[in-house]
Amino acid sequence: MRNVEKRSVMVFLLTLAFFAGLIYHTVNLVMHSAQWVSAPYNAHISDSEGLEYAGKIYDRNGVVLAQTIDKERVYSDDEELRRACLHVVGDDSTNIATAVQTVYRSELTEYNFVFGLGLPESMKQGNDIKLTIDSEMQRAALEALGYNKGAIVFYNYKTGEIVCMVSTPTYDPENIPEDIETNDEYDGAYLNRVLSSAYTPGSTFKLITASAALNELDDAETRSYYCTGEDEVGGREITCFEPNGEVDLREALAQSCNVFFAQLALDIGGDKMTKYAEKAGFNSTLKIDGIETAESVYDVSGASDNDLAWSGVGQYTVLETPINMAVISAAIANGGTPVMPYFIESIGGSKKNSTTLGDRMMDKDTADKLYEMMDHTVEVNYGKYYFSSKYDVCAKTGTAEIGDGVAHAWVTGFCKDEDCPLAFAVIVEGGNSGYGVAIPAATKVLDAAPTF
Amino acid sequence: MNEVLDIVSFVLRLSTPVMALIIITVCFFSLRHGRREKRALIALDDPDRNVRYPVLYWENSIGRSRGSDIRISDPTVSRDHAVLLRRDDGWFIADTGSKAGVLVNGEKTEGRHPVYVGDNISLGTTVLTLRRADDPTDANDRRRTTPPKVHKTVPIGVILFLLTIYMSIISAEAMINMGSLDILPHAVIFVCALWILPLISRFIFQRKNFELEALALFLCGSGIILNAVHDQRQAFIQLISTILGYCVFCFMLWFIEIPDKVMKWRITIYILTIGLLGSTLVLGSALNGAKNWIVLGPVMVQPSEFAKLAYIFVGAATLDQLQTKKNLFGFIIVTGLCVMLLFLMSDFGTALIFFVTFLLIAFMRSGDFKTVIFAVTAAVLGLMLILSIKPYIADRFQAWGHVWEYADSTGYQQVNSFVYSASGGLFGVGLSKGYLQNLFASENDLVFGLVSEEMGLIMALLFAIIIGGFMIYARAVSTRSRSTFYSISACAAAGLLVFQAMLNIFGVTDILPLTGVTLPFLSYGGSSMLSCWGLLAFIKAADERTYSNRKLKAGKITSYAPQTDETDDHDFDEDDYEDDEEYVEI
Repeated sequence: MRNVEKRSVMVFLLTLAFFAGLIYHTVNLVMHSAQWVSAPYNAHISDSEGLEYAGKIYDRNGVVLAQTIDKERVYSDDEELRRACLHVVGDDSTNIATAVQTVYRSELTEYNFVFGLGLPESMKQGNDIKLTIDSEMQRAALEALGYNKGAIVFYNYKTGEIVCMVSTPTYDPENIPEDIETNDEYDGAYLNRVLSSAYTPGSTFKLITASAALNELDDAETRSYYCTGEDEVGGREITCFEPNGEVDLREALAQSCNVFFAQLALDIGGDKMTKYAEKAGFNSTLKIDGIETAESVYDVSGASDNDLAWSGVGQYTVLETPINMAVISAAIANGGTPVMPYFIESIGGSKKNSTTLGDRMMDKDTADKLYEMMDHTVEVNYGKYYFSSKYDVCAKTGTAEIGDGVAHAWVTGFCKDEDCPLAFAVIVEGGNSGYGVAIPAATKVLDAAPTF
Repeated sequence: MNEVLDIVSFVLRLSTPVMALIIITVCFFSLRHGRREKRALIALDDPDRNVRYPVLYWENSIGRSRGSDIRISDPTVSRDHAVLLRRDDGWFIADTGSKAGVLVNGEKTEGRHPVYVGDNISLGTTVLTLRRADDPTDANDRRRTTPPKVHKTVPIGVILFLLTIYMSIISAEAMINMGSLDILPHAVIFVCALWILPLISRFIFQRKNFELEALALFLCGSGIILNAVHDQRQAFIQLISTILGYCVFCFMLWFIEIPDKVMKWRITIYILTIGLLGSTLVLGSALNGAKNWIVLGPVMVQPSEFAKLAYIFVGAATLDQLQTKKNLFGFIIVTGLCVMLLFLMSDFGTALIFFVTFLLIAFMRSGDFKTVIFAVTAAVLGLMLILSIKPYIADRFQAWGHVWEYADSTGYQQVNSFVYSASGGLFGVGLSKGYLQNLFASENDLVFGLVSEEMGLIMALLFAIIIGGFMIYARAVSTRSRSTFYSISACAAAGLLVFQAMLNIFGVTDILPLTGVTLPFLSYGGSSMLSCWGLLAFIKAADERTYSNRKLKAGKITSYAPQTDETDDHDFDEDDYEDDEEYVEI
């Protein structure tokens, strides 16, 4: 009988496997519970009553953006502010995947694994979340975008605080339109375009091409070219908005000469262009407060010479998120290394973020040259006062052709001022003119900026 | 008022795991303490070599091989020469196909032959004399100075009382949460059954111990309340199944009381096993993808559940039979047929359970790794063949390992189970307050998630630990059982329960593919409940105490231990014959 007992060790091993599996599950559950519990279909929290005990959400100045009163989630009194902050704050549902009330729902409802969601009602008490967002800028940004679809982001390139992040189309979380799923007017209303949309960058991408040229081409700063408005680059025509005359790199950026930059891209070559684009955040995503952004794309594998040339002016298949655009400007303002943006100041009173540097996007020398060139661009092309009467802004616009005569209006840049160290990116879908549409929008928001 | 009730419910919820832990601890410690101390009561003397072999078990293999219980280093003795075994009517020696044969007092024997104290048993050139272990002719013995220790078991009343408190706690919590008394009848009937069933066990079947049944009833009671808060009708079926299950348990204990009698039923049981599965394939109706139901008037049964019970019979055998007939041919054929039939029914989970049970039994019978490796290889090849013929079967398991990517389709149940387990935390959101109940098959396939959500992770783990504990217990009693028939069947039954629990729990937690088998004693399902109780009977029967009281009454023997014809007035200190082997104790 001893034999049988010895051989029953197999059964014992089975039991050990059973217990090992149970331990594995427990560890797995404890580690992921906060993430799992906030799944959008968790009926414990995604019911309309899911935020019954959630904490308040404040802006940077203590303005209440959302709170729970008698188990009802109520948002700001001001409808404009509710609409402006929708994509940051979120609504009762978890439709807006990147909103605080979606991503930080378990923190708002103060989830911990020991009690799960099982605490009795009288013992439930949520955490308050304080954002770095400024209500006044939000309001101004929504007004600036008006009925256009688009996105605006402003952040402090010294500290990383996002002070303004608005995406349109938007809606009122207190009165969600019934036709939201069917009406084209609300197309993509659940997306925060700042984080989750990637657009053709157009001329704003010339900053990257310039950065690559300054590093890779010996004659980058010495070569000059006489622009007649069009020329053949890489076997086919490249056109400019208008003839720019005699230009060097500095003037070509200021005048936004396509032919000049197209030729640069061709001379640099696809591999090196890709290298500098990837250093500047292309072909990867960013993490903003744990939220993964969409990917900015620069892919010229298999591109013809002419395609490569067009990619140098931000056309072809190049795509860029507004947030990454702002980060590039921040890097230029900061000597090549950006401070990473965030928008959650504190959760439950404890500080959530501190200033963190991202990966270096370009060397200091290049950054300083681009800094000066962007300054010059505003100086000679847009006019300092056209931009803002209060601050000294360096910027680059873009008018990104997306076909059928439609173009997105872009502007990205930063303020030189010590008391307003903001980097920004603005896109107005179908705005058709960076100069005519995006700059006024950026200016409007900038004028509402707080002092730091 | 509502707030106060809320707090009360919360406090009850916090105390549930505490109570559960007390019950489990009490039961397992009582099981452990109630065991007899290991000591020999007879011995075999080899005067030529001046060796005394203590006889420690109810069935003892005698031979030259290393694993023999009584190992004789004599080249004329066969490797597995004979078996010395104890039955109600005394000791027997059985020749198990030895070359030299077995002689008792010089007479050649065949099959089982009774032996008495003083008899000389010849195996080859070795002659052994059967002695009482306290034979004063042995000069080396020392008289026991202390009386034999008998640990007290925990009285049934205490265990039942604890169970009653536990049931009151969870029922009260459920009723507060529901705001109605809908589940009161279930709770009351269950508690009544709880007190009546052991009385039956005690006074009709003269069974003293109740720990195993108590643990099973603990699981059943929890399952019934868990079910009752969502579906009172289903819970009644569950309640009735539990009581019927207990009847099955008693019947099984009665049926397998004398292993030699059971062995005579073997062929019938072979046919029954195949017949049960075969008839399902012909007459069965499909439900949820697997064609494993038979509709009998208003009742739907799952014959594959009963086939599990029969299958254990097929595999287990007494030691002399194991040694005589070593090949596993018949067993392999029955297994192959069963697994094939289950595959044809698309009941892959049960097929896997049969296969793993086969591996366990085959290894316990033969101790041969080659058999196991061969069987696994054959199974893998068979599986690949089936998948190449019917590749769509694999689609059912495509979500395994990355359920989040299939959250809307085949990973739906697992993902929801994760989400709601996380919502439950350690103590749960409260009975009836969960949402996982709304999912399809939540009360059987997803019951682990349902428990995690409503009762909390601690309770879910405790339930699982009880099932694992059955296994450890079955192994711990395997040398103390009255026959290898019980040792093998108990380990196989416990292994089957554990493996089934693994498939269920790990299926829903995405460690294994989701196969849709039930969680023993907890899941909703009448057939499953009856078969689990039947399997528990195998475990119970392996404990020699199970049948001891009856014999006590009949006046045949006076102790649990193997012994000779008289009552023993004094025993020897067990240290004299202390075995060097280690026990897994619980």
